[in-house]
Amino acid sequence: MNRTTLIVVAIVAALFAVSWIAHAVSMSGQKDNVVDAFMLTMAAFLTLAIFSFLYRDNPFYKFAEHLFVGVSAAFWMCQGFWSTIVGNLIPRLSEGLSGFFQVPYQASSWNFAYWIPVILGLMLLMRLTKDYGWLSRWPLALIVGTTAGLNFVRYLRSDFIVQVSATFMPLLSNESHPWEGFGAFLSNLNLAATGQLVTIVANWVIFLGVICGIIYFFFSKEHTGIFGRASRVGIWILMITFGAGFGYTVMGRISLLVGRITFLFKDWLQIIS
Amino acid sequence: MKYKILIVGMVLLFGLSSVWAQSEPEESDSVVIDSAELFPAPVSDIKLSDKPNDHGHAVVVTWEPSADDGGGKNNVVQYEIYWSTSFDGPFDTAGVVPSGTREFEHVGSKDPDDPKYIPDNTDLFYQIDVVTADPLIRTTSGTEGPVQCSGQWYNTGRTPVLIAVLIFGLLTAVFVTSARKGRKLYVRPIGGIEAVDDAIGRATEMGRPILYVLGLGSAADVATIASFTILGRVAKRVAEYQTELIVPTYDPIVMSVAQEVVKSAYYDAGRPEDYKEDIVHFVTQSQFAYVAAVNGTMLRELPATNVYMGKFFAESLLLAETGSLAGSIQISGTDEIAQIPFFIVACDYTLIGEELYAASAYLGREPKLLGSLKAQDWAKAAVVILAIIGLIAANLGWDSFTNLFQVVD
Amino acid sequence: MRRQIPFALVFIFGFFMIFQFFVPHETSEFFYEFLLDWIIVIGIFALALGIWSLFKVSVEKIKLGKEGAQYSYVTLVGLFLMMAFGFTQKTGEGWGLYFLWIVLCGACIVALMRLRASASAGSKRMWGMMALGLLIGAVLVAIFDDAWAFYFYTQEGLSNSMFRDFFDYIMMPILATMFALLAFYIASAAYRAFRARNLLASLLLLAALLVMSRFNPFLPGAEYVAKASNWLMNVPNMAAQRAIVIGIGLGIVGTALKVILGIERGYMGKG
Repeated sequence: MNRTTLIVVAIVAALFAVSWIAHAVSMSGQKDNVVDAFMLTMAAFLTLAIFSFLYRDNPFYKFAEHLFVGVSAAFWMCQGFWSTIVGNLIPRLSEGLSGFFQVPYQASSWNFAYWIPVILGLMLLMRLTKDYGWLSRWPLALIVGTTAGLNFVRYLRSDFIVQVSATFMPLLSNESHPWEGFGAFLSNLNLAATGQLVTIVANWVIFLGVICGIIYFFFSKEHTGIFGRASRVGIWILMITFGAGFGYTVMGRISLLVGRITFLFKDWLQIIS
Repeated sequence: MKYKILIVGMVLLFGLSSVWAQSEPEESDSVVIDSAELFPAPVSDIKLSDKPNDHGHAVVVTWEPSADDGGGKNNVVQYEIYWSTSFDGPFDTAGVVPSGTREFEHVGSKDPDDPKYIPDNTDLFYQIDVVTADPLIRTTSGTEGPVQCSGQWYNTGRTPVLIAVLIFGLLTAVFVTSARKGRKLYVRPIGGIEAVDDAIGRATEMGRPILYVLGLGSAADVATIASFTILGRVAKRVAEYQTELIVPTYDPIVMSVAQEVVKSAYYDAGRPEDYKEDIVHFVTQSQFAYVAAVNGTMLRELPATNVYMGKFFAESLLLAETGSLAGSIQISGTDEIAQIPFFIVACDYTLIGEELYAASAYLGREPKLLGSLKAQDWAKAAVVILAIIGLIAANLGWDSFTNLFQVVD
Repeated sequence: MRRQIPFALVFIFGFFMIFQFFVPHETSEFFYEFLLDWIIVIGIFALALGIWSLFKVSVEKIKLGKEGAQYSYVTLVGLFLMMAFGFTQKTGEGWGLYFLWIVLCGACIVALMRLRASASAGSKRMWGMMALGLLIGAVLVAIFDDAWAFYFYTQEGLSNSMFRDFFDYIMMPILATMFALLAFYIASAAYRAFRARNLLASLLLLAALLVMSRFNPFLPGAEYVAKASNWLMNVPNMAAQRAIVIGIGLGIVGTALKVILGIERGYMGKG
């Protein structure tokens, strides 16, 4: 650490202490005011530490990052242990263990089957040994096989059959705007969202858009000639969609920033109420 | 004081007189006769059947509505359906539906301890009450039954999916076999794929590592499985060039699989001695903690190339922008549609949706993997043809064709 | 044999899942639910592997004295603290010597890390003695202090207030701030898109600008901008989304089938 870093760290530490003491004093009379004031100051410090990354990588960011990694890894470990293992597995596994962890035992004639994932889980832990590491592939195979089968039929239905049938749509008329003949169509040329022309144009754009988009995703045929042109229209429509998606997200992201700034100024500095 | 008593007395008298004036006609006999006439006509033609295509424990009840529902006295508000395991009752509420309805699915629980449990293969009896705005004015139908419910062994509503499974399976088998026999398959150039090999060469020249991010998916996500194949290819080239590889992971099972993949890639490249278990390491299973750590790695290790392949969520832009600021060449691929725009903007090459799967087949460098790509293309051609036929069908009102694609649950 | 059994398992379970999709009967549903439960349980065991990997990498960094090794202590201490909070519970009114126990354990971990990293026999002995002393102290506090106890479970789940505080005041602020950074990143990404000079990038940018300005009432013709962006979201966007979804669906289906049939084996390694 060079001199400048030391000075900056010292100033930040001093500010931290001031904030801690100030909050503890303002909360005096409340239970655990010293701990609460420390935690609130810590939250503000960590918020600023993460924001400092916008300037560049620095010791404060590194501290917040490493702390976050350690704390969150342990958090999920504890959650998983208490809610899944103790909350759901142990009550089905054995009466003795349920008694030890003070959870109600759920008797069932199929409870023995819950020993299988325990054995598979232990096989997974065999990775840590040199000679029996290959055993860990069995539980992995179970997971990959089961989910591959599940995804295979699930996506064939939701992303293929359902989407294909959604493309079947009338291009000249629909239930709310039955086809009234060319005369009526031409005499009613307006761009109102409810007009027949708008509906028809929209249906054509969707239909051709889907076809061109699919053609872009053809891999085993050269994209030349008409096929190439359709594929090019396909990528244009894809890009318009990605642009729209980008624009759509901007507002949501900015509101998140507003939320953090509110925390700093309202909860920590108490400048705004 | 006197005035006060006088006023209170007058108010009381006034109030009492108005109450008496209102209550008087209600006591007359004619009202009783009216309310008897208010009782609605009962439902007719109650039909009971087992709910099809399910695991059992459910009955479908249909009926012809009361004559006073939408006509006659027009005072029906709702129907209340009751059920029992015996003809004589007692009957429990199965459900309530608004007037105008003529069908009710009584779906129960399969757990015998659940109060909503409906037993399979047991006689069940039903009654339907026609109810008016006044819950006391109602007409009960006769008891209907028995009916029994049971689970089915085949879901007929999913036949279109079964046909699709068979056709797709057959297409894959045909093209994989023909690829195995040595038939050459053309695959169109995909920008990101060509870039992978160049990027590894660049990292070697610069003496900097390659960062491979598998995303937030679990080993259950097919995008992650596709990413494993690409990782295998990258790891093999990295081992050959003796470049450094960093693979931080979010999911411990993904970590285990990735370790297997990288290890065997190093063996294949003939450099098992260079393999270290820490190349693929676990960070944490918290989305933003993972991002914070990977961002830190990008700025401290300064990788020449960052590869993002798999499932990504809100963190996609945080990763890709940081990598871009650090000056790394970036190649990305995901099937999360909402994240593709951010990758396109911040990365040098982006594999869009299905291109990720195509890249995995392509980089696997095995002809049989490409065989299935051909099957996918045929399926897409089928989509285009079906869409055109479907379009004509929808315009001409051929419902029998469009109905073929209706998947019922 | 070692290579074949995993692929056989993939085939059996993959095929079963396809089969059960078409069989609504209770028996098939029963096995389906069992399998999904098993996967969750195996996942928790895997988490132990993950924690071990994180621990090992941090220790390795300290041992090799890599740049920024001191931050690995932060990770390890954070990991230990949260674990300790997750497995202990206050039993009485006050915390007693709980925090002393936490400090002793944390210091013991640091001493053990120093022990691993130290090169000379003298410093090894010093850190070893210190770690042992701290460990004995921690054990004594754990035995004789009645204000708190190991292991707890209540109907509400984890109820150590320190565990919740660490979640609320350490994890949440960092998490929310990381998320909030996206506002800056999206602005910088938009700037990057502005500089792109080809047709595809321009299309993306134009669409983005149009949709971004849909809520802006100050623009001339705001009403038409809103209408145009709505049309963009409902028509071309819908078409492209459908094309991408069909493509992705086929990609997933094709890859899943290759996995089940054992054609795609890249995910399993060799060795």
